[in-house]
Amino acid sequence: MVAQEVTLKNKLGLHARPAAHLVRLAAQYKSNVVLVKDDARIDAKSIMGVMMLAAEKGASLTIECQGEDEEELLAKLVQLVEDKFYEE
Amino acid sequence: MTRKNGETKVSASHHAAREIIVRGIPASPGIAIGQVHFLRGDVAAVPPRKIAPAEVEPEIERLERALEETRAAMLRSRQRAVAMAGTAVGRIFDAHLLILEDQELQKEVRGRIAREQFATEFIVYDTMGRTIELLEKQKGELFRERAMDVRDVRAQLFRFLQGGQDAAPENPDEPSILVAANLSPTDTLHIDRTHIMGIATDLGGPTSHTAILARSFEIPAVVGLGDISARVKSGQTLILNGNSGKVVIAPTAASLKEYRDKHKRYQRLLANLAGLRDLPAETSDGHAIELHGNIELPHEVESVRTHGGTGVGLFRSEYLFLTREAPPSEEVQFEAYFKAAEGMWPCPITIRTFDLGGDKLHPGQSALAERNPFLGWRGIRVSLSHPDLFRTQLRAILRASVKKNVRIMFPLIASLWEVRDAKKALDEAKMELRQEGIAFDEKMPVGIMIEVPSAVILADQLAREADFFSVGTNDLIMYTLAADRGNEMVAKYYDAYHPAVLWAILETVRCGHKAGISVGLCGELAADPLATALLIGLGVDELSVSAGIIPEIKKIIRSIRFADCQEIAARARELPTAEEVRTLLEEEMKRRFADLPIWFTTEG
Repeated sequence: MVAQEVTLKNKLGLHARPAAHLVRLAAQYKSNVVLVKDDARIDAKSIMGVMMLAAEKGASLTIECQGEDEEELLAKLVQLVEDKFYEE
Repeated sequence: MTRKNGETKVSASHHAAREIIVRGIPASPGIAIGQVHFLRGDVAAVPPRKIAPAEVEPEIERLERALEETRAAMLRSRQRAVAMAGTAVGRIFDAHLLILEDQELQKEVRGRIAREQFATEFIVYDTMGRTIELLEKQKGELFRERAMDVRDVRAQLFRFLQGGQDAAPENPDEPSILVAANLSPTDTLHIDRTHIMGIATDLGGPTSHTAILARSFEIPAVVGLGDISARVKSGQTLILNGNSGKVVIAPTAASLKEYRDKHKRYQRLLANLAGLRDLPAETSDGHAIELHGNIELPHEVESVRTHGGTGVGLFRSEYLFLTREAPPSEEVQFEAYFKAAEGMWPCPITIRTFDLGGDKLHPGQSALAERNPFLGWRGIRVSLSHPDLFRTQLRAILRASVKKNVRIMFPLIASLWEVRDAKKALDEAKMELRQEGIAFDEKMPVGIMIEVPSAVILADQLAREADFFSVGTNDLIMYTLAADRGNEMVAKYYDAYHPAVLWAILETVRCGHKAGISVGLCGELAADPLATALLIGLGVDELSVSAGIIPEIKKIIRSIRFADCQEIAARARELPTAEEVRTLLEEEMKRRFADLPIWFTTEG
């Protein structure tokens, strides 16, 4: 398993459209992805799960990937967060 | 419509004990009488029904079929919404598709059917219900909206599990008023317009999707009625006034007759007015007025045209923020503006730049709540503090001006520097487009909304910076009289006929004309038949009203003499109280228009 902590920098946090970006990206890979925020652990391939996480701008998340393509997926997800979900 | 305020929110009529009046937020104009028709926006609770192990596989197959059919229906809804209202509104349905296609959710439902051996309906109801419950527990409007999305998806999936169709299953077969706690975008989109005469909902504001779509469909609607869905019974008669926001539950025979008569007279009047469509809006002694329509969705230009409007005086661009997500892109905006401009061509359309309050830009951030939002971060102030947002909109508007029938105007101008800064941003956007070789109208007229008293006081100077003025009476009255009409305690202080308001309009006209620019008026006062002669007499050049009211106002314009309007205005200006102004206008209008039921729209 690989993991990395990220901070949300985009204006809207993990609301509908950024959440959709993240879920679509995760769905293209075989590995399982879990987002961890405080005590909550959710499956990043579920839009409802991601919405429930209610992550606002400035929130810290840990992304955990596990599976055959875990390295590549983690890198892509971190990139997506760094690029502010192409929102701005 | 302008009206005397001060009704209590919920009051039993003095005449009969059973008639109940409830006040909400007027969301779409017009009067409707009909029987209560509940829209089961949500599915009723489903009892768990056990299935045999052998039934598990057929149940899961049934689920897969329903998922596939629902998905196809959502794509159709999206197409329909895009065709009617553009990409921005269509996006609502993208969120639904994502929820429906949630792999985790689907896995969970399939797993539970196999493990727990209950019928699909129960498992779907229960699984999605848990998500809805969790979302509703969160703070913030955005989560409530997401919960509504999940509810909407669940209701649609249920329709197909039960062999249904796209539209709401039970459409009424007699004139009805749709009553619901809240309407989902899907429900609103599929309303049966032959039998649904009006819409009344517990929740919602004037800019909710229900309100916007209702106006667009020209169905009278009142939203924000509190608990109306719990107070009425199916089949009960309702009178709904989308002009005033009043709903009468179980009206007395007398009320019913009164409204029916009015309604009939109004319909007859509208039929008579249809003949005016292609005639100009000019007084009997030849003084021409530009009579334009206010729109929110691009396709409404059709309605402005069919009602005989010769332009759009106010295109509110805020609907592009309907989905409350990231700001709309340049392409999405361009598409909307160009569609409206093209549909109205060669007549002009006037696009007002975003008139947003702070809350609409940052969904979910309730920390930004202002102590005094009307005196806060709104209108041009938001645009000037968000150069990227503003630039995107200016570029989109400029690109849409290519056929030379687009005008732009800036809301909530209070100082000269704001106009200069906004025009500077416009010049920069023009420069970019020139460099990119993109065509636009180099001479696109730039207007200023006059809705803050300081803009009236500075009108002389502002007129030199603008190609036209547009008086936004709703805000101008509020700021001039320091009264919020939404606040019942002070609503009576908000009065369009207050002498100070008349002076402000007159002063704006005087300064505008001195500088040789036209002065329009696009607030609700423009749509008040009582005010037409007065406004023309004060020298207003252009009136912009919602499309349905154009024929009525045109009829009045064509029936009066400009000289008489001037005389009425001169007399009104001398009167010291709003009450006296109103009495004067009522007498004059009744005397001249005995045959016109023009009082219809002004009554609560």
